[in-house]
Amino acid sequence: MKVRLHIKGKNLWRLCTLIVLCIVLSCCYTIITGVDQPATAVVGSTVNITVHVNNSCNSGGTAHFVFGFLTPTGWNTAQNAKITYTSTKGNGNMVLIPSTTIAPNSNGVNWPLYMKNTFGNAGNLINDVQWTAYESDVPITYANGDKISGTVNITFNNIGADGNPTEVKLAYFVANDQNGFTSDGNDGDSSPTTEYYNEFINTTCFTLTGGTGDLVDFCNPQLTTIDPPKSLDNDIVTLTYNNNVTKTALAGAPAVYLCATATMSDGTTVTVCGQSANTMLTQTTSTSGIYQLTFWPRKLFGAVAGQTVVSMTYFITDITGAKQVGYGNSSSPFTYKFKCT
Amino acid sequence: MNNHFIFKKQAYLFIAAMAFLFTSCKIEKVAPVAESAKDLTGTWKVIQATRNGTNLIPIYDFSQFSIKFDAATGSYNLINPVPFLVSADGKFSLDDPQYPFKLTFTATGGQPVATAFNYPINNGSRQIILTFSPGCAQNTYVFTFSKSN
Repeated sequence: MKVRLHIKGKNLWRLCTLIVLCIVLSCCYTIITGVDQPATAVVGSTVNITVHVNNSCNSGGTAHFVFGFLTPTGWNTAQNAKITYTSTKGNGNMVLIPSTTIAPNSNGVNWPLYMKNTFGNAGNLINDVQWTAYESDVPITYANGDKISGTVNITFNNIGADGNPTEVKLAYFVANDQNGFTSDGNDGDSSPTTEYYNEFINTTCFTLTGGTGDLVDFCNPQLTTIDPPKSLDNDIVTLTYNNNVTKTALAGAPAVYLCATATMSDGTTVTVCGQSANTMLTQTTSTSGIYQLTFWPRKLFGAVAGQTVVSMTYFITDITGAKQVGYGNSSSPFTYKFKCT
Repeated sequence: MNNHFIFKKQAYLFIAAMAFLFTSCKIEKVAPVAESAKDLTGTWKVIQATRNGTNLIPIYDFSQFSIKFDAATGSYNLINPVPFLVSADGKFSLDDPQYPFKLTFTATGGQPVATAFNYPINNGSRQIILTFSPGCAQNTYVFTFSKSN
């Protein structure tokens, strides 16, 4: 009895030492070698994406494989994307990492925020994209010298759940739950990278067509943007006009003006097109070429109780109202629908 | 003789100890201090405002907007309204006048809207901090009010 206990304790110590060593030395360099992603899809359809991953381990250990996916917020990726993995170490499902899980080496934030802090919006121009974090359902055990290859398979159902045709740069990253986004210089084993994580931004914009909403273009700079990107008539919205995107008739103007026609819930239209303080977009600095107006749509369009502002079409004009700039520097107006999805 | 002296000494010691014991313990009657009821009466103006973390003060004019609370009648008035929890005048109430956690606005003819009530003291004066979403639920506004008179 005594002897058995002694042996158990010894094994326990060995196990503990091994675990501690694994945690300290758990390192697999990882890289995304390619992404199979369609260039275009229709709103509401199912899209399949395959991410190819290679790992090269310079020590043995155990870790969950972590995968992150950047998509527009309105797509409800956590609900609509089903993700599995196949690898030379086995196959399984990728499951959502709870938002309460703190990522390693992240200064105490969760995975989605860690990704946002590290990779930002991956070149998307509208701050309405989000990272969704997944991990392998079981930890993966690896040995020193292991070369692991695998794929992450995304089945994205009801893509574009917000109903908006979209141009967006999708981005992916891979990591493990021991190292987080760290790297070292010990690239002595012909591994593909010295990072324990890897990011892949698809620089070609993914185009989503169809849908009932307005085009949301994350890829190309727009003459006008509205913040918050999704708002109702009872929000305080900031309209930004960026005169640096292309050469327009308004170049060099000290201030520009909003000329808008709103459609109300009862079908009536209200036009606000005077060049006054209410419609003036002021330049952020004297030569920035960026003009802003922050307004309350209900007040600007004089909505009465029981009436809401559904949408607006608008031009940006000079102080005389004679020079007008519309969508894409054309003569057709910009459009905006007041909605939350 | 010796024993008798010791007993006597012990008796004296006992009496002295008891005397100390009885005189040492005094029941102190602490008058309970009643927590004052939180009186919001007055006109409150916005001194800080953020939308999803963006400071709105330099880009939107809040100077004309104020809320007038009248605790006697339980009513509030919005002067030059901006997007807010409620859009019309009505009644307000605190869930507990002494230890309020919730402030409820009921616009005339409308449904009650409750919000967390944050009532800190800053530089010696009370502030009210309210968090709400008047438009889309994902857009969060935080207004800090201070009493203007």
